Amino acid sequence: MQATRDIKRRIKSIQSTHKITRAMEMVSAAKMRKAVNRVMSTRAYADLTWQTVLHLARKVDTRQHPFFRETEVVKKIAIIIISTNRGLCGGFNTQLISKVRRAMTVHEQTLAMTDFISLGSKGRNEARRRGLNIVADFIKDDITVDSLVLRPVVKMITEGFVSGQYDRVLVAYTDFESTLSQKPHLKQLLPFAANIDERLGHIAHREPLDTVRIEEQVDFILEPSVREVFDSFLPRLLEVQLLQSVLESEASEHSARMMTMRNASESASEMMEELTLIYNQARQAGITAEIAEISAGAAAMAD
Amino acid sequence: MKKLSLKIVTPERILLDEEVQQVSLATAQGQITVLPGHTNLIAKLAPGEVMIKQAGVAENLIAISGGLVEVLPGLVIVLADTAERAVEIDEARAEAARQRAEELRHEKLADAEEFARLTAMIEKEMTRVRVARKYKQMGIRSGHIDNK
Repeated sequence: MQATRDIKRRIKSIQSTHKITRAMEMVSAAKMRKAVNRVMSTRAYADLTWQTVLHLARKVDTRQHPFFRETEVVKKIAIIIISTNRGLCGGFNTQLISKVRRAMTVHEQTLAMTDFISLGSKGRNEARRRGLNIVADFIKDDITVDSLVLRPVVKMITEGFVSGQYDRVLVAYTDFESTLSQKPHLKQLLPFAANIDERLGHIAHREPLDTVRIEEQVDFILEPSVREVFDSFLPRLLEVQLLQSVLESEASEHSARMMTMRNASESASEMMEELTLIYNQARQAGITAEIAEISAGAAAMAD
Repeated sequence: MKKLSLKIVTPERILLDEEVQQVSLATAQGQITVLPGHTNLIAKLAPGEVMIKQAGVAENLIAISGGLVEVLPGLVIVLADTAERAVEIDEARAEAARQRAEELRHEKLADAEEFARLTAMIEKEMTRVRVARKYKQMGIRSGHIDNK
């Protein structure tokens, strides 16, 4: 009897875990839908702004703006790590940091120093554990509504880059490919690559939403002036690029969590089934033993 | 007749993506109207209105709070910081938001950055109010308002 009671207790405890994971799965699914919608609508803006910059870069001398300045020797790099505030999303943050570490080994060969700016507490903790040099930590909202909250980060990297403290600024985020697949990814924010790397503005693998091709020799009128267009437009572009990375990460986070929770629920169901079987067997064995005892007793009495 | 493909996008959404005959915008240097065959242009936009015309009739009015316009052959891309259709604007609330921003600006004269932000906000709200009023007066036909 002892055995069956223990099994029953375990079944109960797994059942309640199952309930929790199921609920979390559904919450994540709802959050994911929202986050995916947001990232999709921002992609159009980010792609189109990036294209405009490409058009501009073809026409005008990009050295006119500090955001395009490329140094020959890269001495110091800043990496913004966009992670999550909450756990229970599988290897999401670990994978991101591993990716960053791998990228660092490449940089370190050229003796470049790396500073880290973290956005999201899980990534910060993970980075600290691995001994990465964190210079700033910003609080990340669970759902980023607009780019206003990213202003301080943008300001910090802009100042760091323009003053020459950093020769390159990268952002490490998780690219949302689909519900099933999210990939950690590193993207260069600054300088804007003057050699017109078409992919820089986009997310690694995806074709831009709206491709607008123009011939090389097309001329532009710029109003009021190149300088002013750059000054008003480029900081905005930087902000949007960062916002998009954050939104991609959020969409990825929620899908990763949803998948993790779904797996957890499934394993819980499986365990419950197995335990129920064992429980029934134990119960049946108990009954059989009891009957055997009783009939043995009856047989003894009959003699 | 030749047409222009017009896209109005903000970081939050694609507000509009359709074929139009002409579009008027407020650039930093003044009002311009783009017709098919316009020369290529990249211009800074001031907070103001975007008026879209089909067959010579004004049919859609949009308030934007600054941004950039890129004119390419047969294509106009408006990269707006924020954009709203006139029908979507609640005039009373826009007016209230403007007043609130102005009061705040009176209180916080010290901080230059805050001041600039509030000034931009006031401009934005003023544009919204203006566009909402104009929309009422014109009584633009509302067939095209529904969001695609």
